Amino acid sequence: MEETMKTKNRLIVDQLPVKTWNRLNVNEAVIEWDEARTADLGTESHMAGSDEPVRIAARGEGEFSRKQVKVEAAPGTRITVYEQMEAEQHFHLHTTLVAHENAVIRLVQLQDTREGSLLYNQIDGHCEENGHIELIQMFVGRGHLYSDSRFTLQGDRSGLEADIGYLGRKDQKLDMNLAVDHFGKHTESEINAAGALMDSSAKVFRGTIDFKNGSSDSVGNEKETVLMLGENVINKTVPLILCAEENVVGNHGATIGELDDETLFYFESRGIGREAAEDLLARASIERLARKTGDAETEEKIAALLNEEL
Amino acid sequence: MMREKSLVEDIDRSIYDIRDEEKDAYRMEAGLTPEIIEKLSKEKGDPVWMQQFRLQALQIYNEMEIPNWGPSIEGLDMDHIATYVRPNTKMQNDWKNVPQDIKDTFDRLGIPQAERKSLAGVGAQYDSELVYHNVREEVAAEGVVYTDMESAMKGEYADMVRKYFMKLVTPRDHKFAALHGAVWSGGSFVYVPKGVHLSIPLQSYFRLNAKGAGQFEHTLIIVDEGASLHFIEGCSAPKYNVANLHAGCVELYVKKNAKLRYSTIENWSKNMYNLNTKRALVEENGVIEWVSGSFGSHVGCLYPMSVLKGDNSRTEFTGVTFAGKGQNLDTGAKVVHVGKNTSSYMNTRSISKSGGISTFRSSVVVEKSAQGAKSSVSCQSLMLDSESRSDTIPAMDIRTRNASVGHEAKIGSISNEAIFYLMSRGMSEEDARALIVSGFADNVSKELPVEYAVEMNNLIRLEMKGSIG
Repeated sequence: MEETMKTKNRLIVDQLPVKTWNRLNVNEAVIEWDEARTADLGTESHMAGSDEPVRIAARGEGEFSRKQVKVEAAPGTRITVYEQMEAEQHFHLHTTLVAHENAVIRLVQLQDTREGSLLYNQIDGHCEENGHIELIQMFVGRGHLYSDSRFTLQGDRSGLEADIGYLGRKDQKLDMNLAVDHFGKHTESEINAAGALMDSSAKVFRGTIDFKNGSSDSVGNEKETVLMLGENVINKTVPLILCAEENVVGNHGATIGELDDETLFYFESRGIGREAAEDLLARASIERLARKTGDAETEEKIAALLNEEL
Repeated sequence: MMREKSLVEDIDRSIYDIRDEEKDAYRMEAGLTPEIIEKLSKEKGDPVWMQQFRLQALQIYNEMEIPNWGPSIEGLDMDHIATYVRPNTKMQNDWKNVPQDIKDTFDRLGIPQAERKSLAGVGAQYDSELVYHNVREEVAAEGVVYTDMESAMKGEYADMVRKYFMKLVTPRDHKFAALHGAVWSGGSFVYVPKGVHLSIPLQSYFRLNAKGAGQFEHTLIIVDEGASLHFIEGCSAPKYNVANLHAGCVELYVKKNAKLRYSTIENWSKNMYNLNTKRALVEENGVIEWVSGSFGSHVGCLYPMSVLKGDNSRTEFTGVTFAGKGQNLDTGAKVVHVGKNTSSYMNTRSISKSGGISTFRSSVVVEKSAQGAKSSVSCQSLMLDSESRSDTIPAMDIRTRNASVGHEAKIGSISNEAIFYLMSRGMSEEDARALIVSGFADNVSKELPVEYAVEMNNLIRLEMKGSIG
């Protein structure tokens, strides 16, 4: 797995596994970071073992801080982890997931950061035979976000299901990278990202499905839907499929734009105007994920946050 | 149980691989220095502005880095590439006057027959210079200009050439555009006057015979307001055991209400580094259509770009890439939407076999000014074995809410169900696989004039001829 590159005052993150034209500015992202002034908030480790979900309040402290979370599911076990991510300044959260044979890890992340803050959310996930990771990310905070997730489907029949929802407001930057390497046979990945961009927000989503040689009978699907709602928004979408194996199936689809005429007509014929319809759809991209968690606490938090924002 | 599969053979290149004895009249020493550029400029009788342009481009070339993305071009050593090789003939407008060996080569490639049957004009370049150029009388009578770049630069179109030459693809675009600016030679100039519609195509054919040489032809086409043109470009070379380089440049200007279709069947030899640059600037209501078949080259980087400047302008890109043993073909397209209500459509197919690497790379940029823009990209890749690679690297940069952009990509192998279906109707497995691959590439063949579609389908049929292993 590629290490994040650290230079004296910069972190180079969200690197595309394969570079493309430099002038598009999507090959990587750069974060201004002061390593010397970074407070180490320690490491929190969790092993699967109880039916109760683990709830982690990940809060940045001071100007620069870093926290590590390690989650491991032993063979045949299951664990659900909720991470509530909060930051006022610069916060780096690094979560490591290891799903052993027949294990399942479910990670639900909720970003609720302050305006002007910067969250660098890094995930490294690894699945052994028939191990699965389910990731739900809800990015609704007001701060800048750099989200860098890399998964390795090492074991046969292992899988990743990732669902990502986001809201971009004001001059917020949302820079996301998700890469999944298929090594094992019969592995599956499913990536869904959907969100809305308002005001002058800017978003990059890089999604990579990489079928390595030997990953026969594997399947990877990726879908992204971007609702463009602001006059000055910028959306960049970079979906990669890399393939060194014959007997696999990879699909990608992206839809980017404002509310289409057909959908608008549907809403207007029910007495709902454009603005209200846009709000409804922006909410829907997050609410569907909150519902998917099946967790009342998360649903309440999301409802409160969305009521505040929309 | 092991899956049975067809063994797929490489393209039969016997027609393309015949080498002529090198009887060039002049071959520039290999390498790149200001002295070599000055000598080349003198040899070609450049006007002063062009000599200065070349020297500036060389300086830019020396300043620029090799791109840090895309296929490796480590095997390309510019110190061993001869940038100019003049054939032993001046440009002719009658095949009878072309030297026998060169004429035989173009005869084998079917160029004179195609001219007689289905073309409005033909240009044939051999190494660094045009050896034949002709346009039908009735086409010339409508004011259509189709000539070699050198003649255009010095004749009555000199001002027009100077106005447009390397303004769309400038030497600062990338390192090999700078190289092209320094050493370009040959190529065609086409001007289609206002309102003139050519019902049959013009064709230029580029043949590189010299070992260890480069070909750097420049194609400049201006389709004036309300006019239309179909231009076809073909290229091939015999295979040598040293690297050859093709760094051509194509600049297309599509004026208001004009339409240009630019078709390419590229079949360079597998020692060729094909680092070509193609770009079109499209004005109001103008249309550029690219049809592209990439079959040859050792390394290929080719991404025709459309700049949709005028309102309601549009582009379509239809391409197929077939990467076999020893080939790394990085192909695709770029589009920039600037004008209002502009639209773009890309439809591509990639096939990889026998260790070949095929990469689809694209970029769609929708500027803030491009209100009402629409873009759709569809790319499909077929892997014929697990020694090969097939990558899809698209990027979209959208800067207005009032746009509709869609993208879909699929990658997979030949479906066993489809083979079973065809076999249950009496086909052999080999024929079934060949039919599926031909059908997979028909997005391009059905867009070509019938003679060229037949040639392309023959290439695919030969490629797929094999045995069940």
